[in-house]
Amino acid sequence: MREVTKTFVLTRFDPDQDEAPRTQEYKVPVREDWKVLDAINFIKDEIDPSVSHRWSCRMAVCGSCGMMVNGEPKLTCKTALSDYGDRVEIEPLANFPIVRDLVVELEGFMDKFKSVKPWIVRAKQKAAEEGTYRQSTEELSAFKQFSMCINCMLCYSACPVVANEPEFIGPAAIALGHRYNMDSRDEGASERNQRFREEGTVFSCSYANECSEVCPKDVDPAAAVNQAKFNAVIDWAKGLVMPKGGS
Amino acid sequence: MSRPAHPHAMAPKTPGKTRTAPPQIPASWWSTSRMRAYLAFDATGFVYLLVGFLAIRLVWALGSGQGAYDSALGALENPIYIVWNVFALLCVIGVGVRFFRLFPKAQPARLGPAKPPPGPVIHAGLYLAWIGITVLLSAILAGGLFA
Repeated sequence: MREVTKTFVLTRFDPDQDEAPRTQEYKVPVREDWKVLDAINFIKDEIDPSVSHRWSCRMAVCGSCGMMVNGEPKLTCKTALSDYGDRVEIEPLANFPIVRDLVVELEGFMDKFKSVKPWIVRAKQKAAEEGTYRQSTEELSAFKQFSMCINCMLCYSACPVVANEPEFIGPAAIALGHRYNMDSRDEGASERNQRFREEGTVFSCSYANECSEVCPKDVDPAAAVNQAKFNAVIDWAKGLVMPKGGS
Repeated sequence: MSRPAHPHAMAPKTPGKTRTAPPQIPASWWSTSRMRAYLAFDATGFVYLLVGFLAIRLVWALGSGQGAYDSALGALENPIYIVWNVFALLCVIGVGVRFFRLFPKAQPARLGPAKPPPGPVIHAGLYLAWIGITVLLSAILAGGLFA
């Protein structure tokens, strides 16, 4: 298979030595079928073992290998090197604190994520012997798209609101919250909608649609966020006119 | 090449033990075609603000008597105003097209028992409503209705 040499410019940051992130260039003989992740792994394995980056499944399922490739958030295991020229800039995901080299701090996301209760909330759990909660295909289709999120953080990296409003809980957290609101087995929609009406949530979204443009799993978080806006308002209105908010 | 993002973007509530570098954004964040389109969309707000001032000027002139109103209308025949109004119209069309493109997927999956119609039907409805309202307003302004 044909090989060409490309120059990779990687962001480097060692918290013990560097004041601020810097860049370092590597020349890599790449094969034409390589993904960007293959080149980063080559650099780490063959040229510079001190390079730090996250990766795991190599098949766009685990969501670990998100990075900025020539200024755009990408899953590097899914991004073909043949789409780029001779010089490829690889940076850690935008909008996240940098832990080391290409590795970013994800605890901020976890704080935001937990705040929308991304799990099935039941007022009273059914006993195991009573069987499972049944769900029709149509009920599943109401939220299945939003359940495909792999928490790769590309949407946070692309979102102009995340870059400017630290309180904004962001596209993936809202999409997952909305996913559970749409789940017929869930009874926690009122709690989540209340959260969605707080500052820094759905109404902070200016519908730039960048999250959906970069999503590698076609989750369409922008659709979820804007549907959640509507549902949060309807839930509020129901609370005004119906006892117990209509639930 | 990167530049600093908001220093607290995606910061954890409790800082970790390891020192981190502040978040960055690509220095060229504004230059991608999608982001340029979004910035242009947002910037049209300024155009509407100026159009609003123009409308207020006309209402003010209307309250100041027939002569003042005729004079204000006459001023609108100036080519600068004509170019400005064509530009404002292009802005409205641009924003309308973007809004119509993004509107269908923002609809809730269901409202009680009712489900929204398919996206193309919503699109067609929006454009029909737009054309209908434009025709109606044109008829009123041309004196064909409520004259």
